Amino acid sequence: SPMVTGTSVLGLKFSGGVILAADTVGSYGSLARFRGVSRLLKVNDSTVLGASGDLADFQHLRQLLEQMVIDEELLGDGHSYSPRALHSWLTRVLYNRRSKINPLWNTVLIAGVYGGESFLGYVDMLGVAYEAPSLATGFGAYLAQPLLRAALERDRIPTREEARELLERCLRVLYYRDARSFNRYEVAVVTEKGVELEGPLTLEANWEIAHLV
Amino acid sequence: EWTAEPVSTGTTIMAVEFDGGVVIGADSRTTTGSYVANRVTDKLTPVHDRIFCCRSGSAADTQAVADAVAYQLAFHSVELEEPPRVRTAARLFQQSCYRYREELSAGIIVAGWDPRRGGQVYMVPMGGLLLRQPFAVGGSGSSYIYGFLDATFQSGMSRSQCQEFVARALALAMVRDGSSGGVIRLATITEEGVERTVLAGSDLP
Repeated sequence: SPMVTGTSVLGLKFSGGVILAADTVGSYGSLARFRGVSRLLKVNDSTVLGASGDLADFQHLRQLLEQMVIDEELLGDGHSYSPRALHSWLTRVLYNRRSKINPLWNTVLIAGVYGGESFLGYVDMLGVAYEAPSLATGFGAYLAQPLLRAALERDRIPTREEARELLERCLRVLYYRDARSFNRYEVAVVTEKGVELEGPLTLEANWEIAHLV
Repeated sequence: EWTAEPVSTGTTIMAVEFDGGVVIGADSRTTTGSYVANRVTDKLTPVHDRIFCCRSGSAADTQAVADAVAYQLAFHSVELEEPPRVRTAARLFQQSCYRYREELSAGIIVAGWDPRRGGQVYMVPMGGLLLRQPFAVGGSGSSYIYGFLDATFQSGMSRSQCQEFVARALALAMVRDGSSGGVIRLATITEEGVERTVLAGSDLP
């Protein structure tokens, strides 16, 4: 059973890569207990991972991943895990844990750029896995995903700035409507050039409508 | 009735970092249900010369884990031939608390001083997460003082400011939380050593 948890993670492909966004709070039930937690993890120069769900299990995953990346570097053959390979590996890990009735209580988004192609995948604690041009976990699946999909239908593939703005707008909606969210967040942008982690940034909220009531 | 209740350190515990060390504090009430089994408990447990842990949750669980970590640290320190890092102690706590998360009920704050990084505070809440923080609170009483802490905490406080901050926060929590009470035990850990004080009755802020 989860203790300290993280809420939604959002992911969106754009013309030059993929972006992930997540807020920086660790909730203890309804209490916003830890307000400076990073839920985005840079795995290697071509991949980032964002996790929601139990943060202790996320830390455990982080250790597993970091060890894997080290072992791989030691091979010294110049190859690094592709986002797709990591997604596949993580699916197996999570599915096997659930099959032992001892799941890692996380829903994870993996984003990366490898061989010129961008990748965005989802795995949850049951081992359910899929890819899509836009993804969201938790509350985001209900509130943000429709917004992301509508934008993609309208504009095919957004530019980096458009994608960034769209994610910020979704995070703001989540801040308004998700009782376990927070207005400080981080963003990870993956392109051919590598991974850029931005944050922590703060969301401005608009309460003008309060005056109309 | 009360014989069936597990013994719990109801509790308010707190640790704050300052330049040169840490100040830690706890109340002194241990409850079995609503009976106060021990009104002068010491919840500030040393796991090494300059590393302490503040225990909340099940008294048995936290004592057991703390004893195990103290042993591991003592061994590690002999191997290293130097005082262990606070981070190592915190990591040892985390490993036990995460592995046995389903069986344990333990919320622990690890705080101390080491030559490498000075004063440090690490939080290992239930579930087995490990986080370093400038200050940390835990236990049932902590819920009542989050507002006070958010309003009053400033980084860069001096040693005596930290001591006052911890004492005031604990006193407020102990008043409101039925599972916390008794005396305030404070400890200040620096390079020079550990200074322990007790605030009782009329000394309470």
